[in-house]
Amino acid sequence: MSKTIILPGAKITDRIAHDPNTFVDETSTYAAVVGTLDETGRFIALESRYKPQVGDAVVGVVTDTKHAGYDIEIGMPHEAFLSSREIRIKLQLGEFVVCRVRMVDEVGEVELNEVRRLPMGKLVSFPPAKIPRLIGKKSSMLLLIKEQTGGDIVVGNNGLIWISSKSDIPLVLKAMNLIERKAHFSGLTDEVSAMLNVSKSQEGE
Amino acid sequence: MTEDKRLIVDGKRGDGRTPEELRNVRIETGMLKEADGSAYIEWGGNRIVCGVYGPKDCIPRHAADPYKAILKCRYMMSPFASQEEHGKSGPSRRSTELSKVIRHVFENLVIAERFPNTQIEIFLDVLQASGGTRTASITAAAVALANAGIPMRDMVAAVSVGKADGKVLVDLDKEEDNSGQSDMPIAIARNSKEILLLQMDGLLTKEEVEKALDLAERAVEKIGDMQEESLRQFYESPEKKKFVM
Repeated sequence: MSKTIILPGAKITDRIAHDPNTFVDETSTYAAVVGTLDETGRFIALESRYKPQVGDAVVGVVTDTKHAGYDIEIGMPHEAFLSSREIRIKLQLGEFVVCRVRMVDEVGEVELNEVRRLPMGKLVSFPPAKIPRLIGKKSSMLLLIKEQTGGDIVVGNNGLIWISSKSDIPLVLKAMNLIERKAHFSGLTDEVSAMLNVSKSQEGE
Repeated sequence: MTEDKRLIVDGKRGDGRTPEELRNVRIETGMLKEADGSAYIEWGGNRIVCGVYGPKDCIPRHAADPYKAILKCRYMMSPFASQEEHGKSGPSRRSTELSKVIRHVFENLVIAERFPNTQIEIFLDVLQASGGTRTASITAAAVALANAGIPMRDMVAAVSVGKADGKVLVDLDKEEDNSGQSDMPIAIARNSKEILLLQMDGLLTKEEVEKALDLAERAVEKIGDMQEESLRQFYESPEKKKFVM
């Protein structure tokens, strides 16, 4: 299947389509960001900004405590707010958490709930447009990486990824780097699998 | 002063170009690691780095617009960019003007309503200048914004046209700009063909303006193809080692 890379302003279809990475002008839909277009007319963004949606799982850091709750940095222009009413646990400044988006208002302020504390680990960012490839079909890619590197990984829709300190962090980062660079190519799971196997066998020598 | 030096001899310009020919242009996408989007352009003797950051929290807070993101643009010439003085600290009259006109180009393209209460910053640093830095800056900034994933209605490329030695020329270099009769930078959107920037120094007749616009439109198409090629190369060949600053 051949894909072509198209730039902002290129026409995608003559119908009205709803995708946050496109815009509609009268009756046609155009690309708003760089992306790929395949023969079936499906547009996939190569670069995009995270647009919070109710129900999204987001990973973040506690950056401030207020009397009504906590500010959580989730890699957005504004910090998200987690009300104390929504949670039963106390959080510390600098702690890593994973939450669910409860509400997004018209100016893009995010409110969270369903907090879960994340233990020691590493927080890295990943392009939000490429998150679906990092997870894979039925989480195949994520399960593969978790299995091969021996630790837990939590992927937030916002593009922040928490990697457990129990896993082989350099190897996870290497795999993520490969996915990031080759997100728009097919056969990626096999390639990542081969890469992980090679890296592990080299370590054994 | 304008007439005592021949700029065009036997239909060839100082650097051997024909009147319709562009200088060599090379665009590199994504060479700043820490920026959200970036581009580097070499256009004849011009060398410009562009970094795009945002959307992020608006500073100062009171400047934030709850309806849309505000755009900020800072064009700056480095002290060693050309033979004239650019070493004085702070923004000059010239750089303030250029920052403003470049910002207006992108305010017409960026879909700012999607990021309320935020700002998007475009930084343009001219490392070396030899005429036509504002058009090269616009060309590079469009690539950097696309690389940053900021939604835009269209791409844009720019070129200067003008007159030297009584001839209408495309892509004036420093010599032709300084001692020619007219200089007219133009930015044209790629698909809609809207003119997003048009300034003019010196004089042109109505017929000459028409001819210049026609030449500019064709030149901008070529530059647009180069922008596309640069972005395509960046995304298609991940194996190729990037030149990272």
